[in-house]
Amino acid sequence: MAIDPSEKRRLFERLSNVREVVFGMQDGVLTTAGVLCGLSGAVSDRKQVVLAALASTAAGALSMGAGAYLGTHAETEILGAELEQARREATEQPYVIQESLLNQLGKEGLSREAAYRVVTLLSTSPSALINTAEEKVYGLASGLLSNPIADGVVMGVAFMIGALVPLLPYFFIQSGRQGLISALAATALVLFVVGYFEGWLAHRAQRWRAGIRFMAIAMSAAAAGYLIGLAISPLGAVAG
Amino acid sequence: MLGPGDIAPDFELPCASSGRASKLRLSDSRTDYMTLFFYPRDFSFICPTEVSGFNQALKSFADARCAVLGISIDDVDSHLKWAAELGGIDYPLLSDVDGQIARAYGVFDENEKVALRATFVMRKNRAIMHAVACPFNVGRSVADTLRVVQAITTGRMCPAEWKPGVEFGPQEQKF
Repeated sequence: MAIDPSEKRRLFERLSNVREVVFGMQDGVLTTAGVLCGLSGAVSDRKQVVLAALASTAAGALSMGAGAYLGTHAETEILGAELEQARREATEQPYVIQESLLNQLGKEGLSREAAYRVVTLLSTSPSALINTAEEKVYGLASGLLSNPIADGVVMGVAFMIGALVPLLPYFFIQSGRQGLISALAATALVLFVVGYFEGWLAHRAQRWRAGIRFMAIAMSAAAAGYLIGLAISPLGAVAG
Repeated sequence: MLGPGDIAPDFELPCASSGRASKLRLSDSRTDYMTLFFYPRDFSFICPTEVSGFNQALKSFADARCAVLGISIDDVDSHLKWAAELGGIDYPLLSDVDGQIARAYGVFDENEKVALRATFVMRKNRAIMHAVACPFNVGRSVADTLRVVQAITTGRMCPAEWKPGVEFGPQEQKF
């Protein structure tokens, strides 16, 4: 059954936070898995490994949340100012905005005459003209304006949830080696699920492939972390 | 861009004139003066104010023994529809589809692939008396073009802001 356009719009608005969820979870899983792998290569005490991973999780969640908040805040401020200027120009110089919209519609395949008629019709409502020009001429859209606090919270929470995945096995499994293997297995599984979910959202036919691709890229980063940990472990021995 | 003192290149182009398709050769003009104005496109939001403006002032231009000719890169069919959209245009709208005439006059914008808003006032022998160009987003003043045509036709020294009824400059400075 075809989805109702207004429902689709609400779906798009909800999906605007998918970036934060996917990015936060993926980063939480990977950073923590990377820390666990790296420390497991360098430190033999399981408690130290867990404590370091917990500290890394807290710092990472706060850092990612703050980063998302600041990034969205800056983006919202800049975009908001640009939209305001575009609206002012459209009010003060409607001819300019009409001409620009006319040219843009022409580039998108409408005949000159058809584009003229569309813009003429839109011009009967100043807000319709301005909203269309914002999207078509400036490539801006008020729908892109996100809530910085929501973005920050979503990113931070997603990071923490992601970070818990490789950490949890360490709480229940005493053996450091088995804990690491379980952490890696859980990490791989979650990364696959995130990739599969992303493929589902993108309506991809081969969602398994999307999951495997996501998992492979992310696990390569974790493997690199482990190798770097192994490489720097002699330095820890020297310092100790 | 061509300017005063240059001889405007002659051309023969298809045109829309009083609701009909025809052809026009510049050198066939029977009036003493001609105003040739280039505009970017039909079906736009700045051009109609000029195209209609020249149409409304057509009698005043005729009184100054000056023909008015509009020219753009649109084809004759577009000109006919555009003229009808504007309620009828009584002077020829010439079709310079490939922009060759605009290039010859030095007023073709190669980036936008349209002519600038350029106006040339010339004598019957195509000697250019006045040339001016505006950016795309600024419409021309038909009243000022008419004022310049009226000033040129006097053959007298016309001070700044001169218009019919205002005193001329010294007779001995007649050019």
